Amino acid sequence: MENYDKSLKKIFTKRLQAVQKLPKIDGSKSIIDILEEKGISRRDFMKWASYMTAYLGLSSSFVPTVAKAAEVADRLPIIWLHMAECTGCSESLLRSDAPTIDSLIFDYISLEYHETIMAASGWQAEQNLEGAIEKYKGKYILMVEGGIPTKLDGHFLTLGAFAKTGQDVAKEAADGAAAIFAIGTCSSFGGIQAAAPNPTGAVPLSEITSKPVINVPGCPPSEKNIVGTLLHYILYGTLPALDAYNRPKWAYENRIHDLCERRGHFDAGEFVQSFGDEGAKKGYCLYKVGCKGPYTFNNCSKERFNQHTSWPIQAGHGCIGCSEPQFWDKMGPFEEPMADHLFHGPFGGLGADATVDKIGISLLTITAIGIGAHAAISAVKPPKE
Amino acid sequence: MAQLNESLKIPCKEEVEFSVAFRWQHWIRALSIVVLVISGFYLAYPFLSPPVNAEPTGFLYALFRSWHEIFGFILVAVILYKAFLFFFSKQHANERVSFKDFLNPSVWISQIKYYLLIEKHPAIKGAYNPLQFIAYVGFYIMIFLLILTGLILYSNVYHSGFGGLIYAPMKFFETLFGGLSTVRIFHHILTWGIILFVTVHVYMAIYNSVFGKEGGMDAIFSGRKWKKNH
Repeated sequence: MENYDKSLKKIFTKRLQAVQKLPKIDGSKSIIDILEEKGISRRDFMKWASYMTAYLGLSSSFVPTVAKAAEVADRLPIIWLHMAECTGCSESLLRSDAPTIDSLIFDYISLEYHETIMAASGWQAEQNLEGAIEKYKGKYILMVEGGIPTKLDGHFLTLGAFAKTGQDVAKEAADGAAAIFAIGTCSSFGGIQAAAPNPTGAVPLSEITSKPVINVPGCPPSEKNIVGTLLHYILYGTLPALDAYNRPKWAYENRIHDLCERRGHFDAGEFVQSFGDEGAKKGYCLYKVGCKGPYTFNNCSKERFNQHTSWPIQAGHGCIGCSEPQFWDKMGPFEEPMADHLFHGPFGGLGADATVDKIGISLLTITAIGIGAHAAISAVKPPKE
Repeated sequence: MAQLNESLKIPCKEEVEFSVAFRWQHWIRALSIVVLVISGFYLAYPFLSPPVNAEPTGFLYALFRSWHEIFGFILVAVILYKAFLFFFSKQHANERVSFKDFLNPSVWISQIKYYLLIEKHPAIKGAYNPLQFIAYVGFYIMIFLLILTGLILYSNVYHSGFGGLIYAPMKFFETLFGGLSTVRIFHHILTWGIILFVTVHVYMAIYNSVFGKEGGMDAIFSGRKWKKNH
């Protein structure tokens, strides 16, 4: 382990030195200056760094390395694109009641292009984007929020002064990127707009580029998962270990259910029967009112949201499985257990809105009627011997 | 050995249909299926609430899950054993012989006509008629998929031990199914397939026992069937 840590540290040091040599992209102030200006002491910053270290699964001897990585984060140019989305992912990161260290770092890294927070608009914005893609070709990190509509040649999403399609913008930006992160479920898996019948033909970012895309799904993903993915890239310079859906394993390896604070009540068979009942007041398990935690891979139960304040299950509503592919179609209805999943239209529409049990009982009834009829006829007219 | 059925005076031939091993695995399997279906429905929708207990010791859901898993693994063992018997056992060659009838369309047609009360039961070479054979093939496909989806769900609950051992390969199948929620739905749908199979299976067994008059039902208890001399 010690040797492993040593060689890993060597890799990190080399990598950080390389990053540090890159020119600082704008402003004279360093991230540390800015944090201090905002009233965050060195001590708070180091606390945050040790937290992120543990979070990325590194030993505590890496705390200074991770802190260093955060300090040099302003040397990597980032282009953030908005496709078909609600800006909730940006909001998750940027709008907290008191700015977190994560959001401050994010504010002051070199966001070369971000439609929500940049000052430029119109032609100037176009120029900024083109300029950034050109200037930092092969060096920038591309973060994309939102699914990409493909029907009508992609014209369901038409952007900017040149009326380009979202598809073209994303493709162009992806071609020159050093690393590509799909931020949020829409960009990772298509999200809500890709739900049946998917009128705009929305697809995930990974389908319009042949380059590897790291998915950071969630609706929205927690700010820690976004910044953690960035820090991981700064430290390693490579892709993190990914699961089958290209989600970083350090964040998405376990189910919500595995570390849920209400898991004890689940095993005990103590369930909320309806919202607002006695069980709900006592904090019982939300499985029977539709919690999809057992089928959802994410770290919300550990990390929560908004500076660890709360998260859906703590607030009394089940998980809706938002970080899973096609969650809108697969996890619904959100306030019923998986057993009551409704099918869109099996048997040519006859079985629409039926649950497995309803279809099963119907088939069983038909079978029973068939058996009864066959037995009755056989009793009157026995089979040939 | 020709014997005489004393009461009916019909000459019958005693024939060993199912071995001891076969009968045991059949009944263990049947018991497992009953326990698995009942506990499975509870796991899908917990319809019982535990008695109120001040101390956190009444783990009702966990209890149902344990029985579901215990009988699940019993089922896995029995199915593996059954597969061995089917493919390799000399004593159970009559099962494999049924495949010849399965390939013969005229046996198919006569068998369907028999159930439509039009024709006599065809003479079959092996233990099962073609309709029975295809029903059993369907049953084993369903059981195989139930075991697979069951193991995927299991490996996500128990991350070490056997669960840890099968975690990586099961992850592959989990992705193939399209995520854990879909795996769960498939498991539920297949359960209904088994319920339908068992219903028809029991009816057919009784039917053939009543109208076949060869002690067809007895074969699964005593192993013997009393073949009429055609």
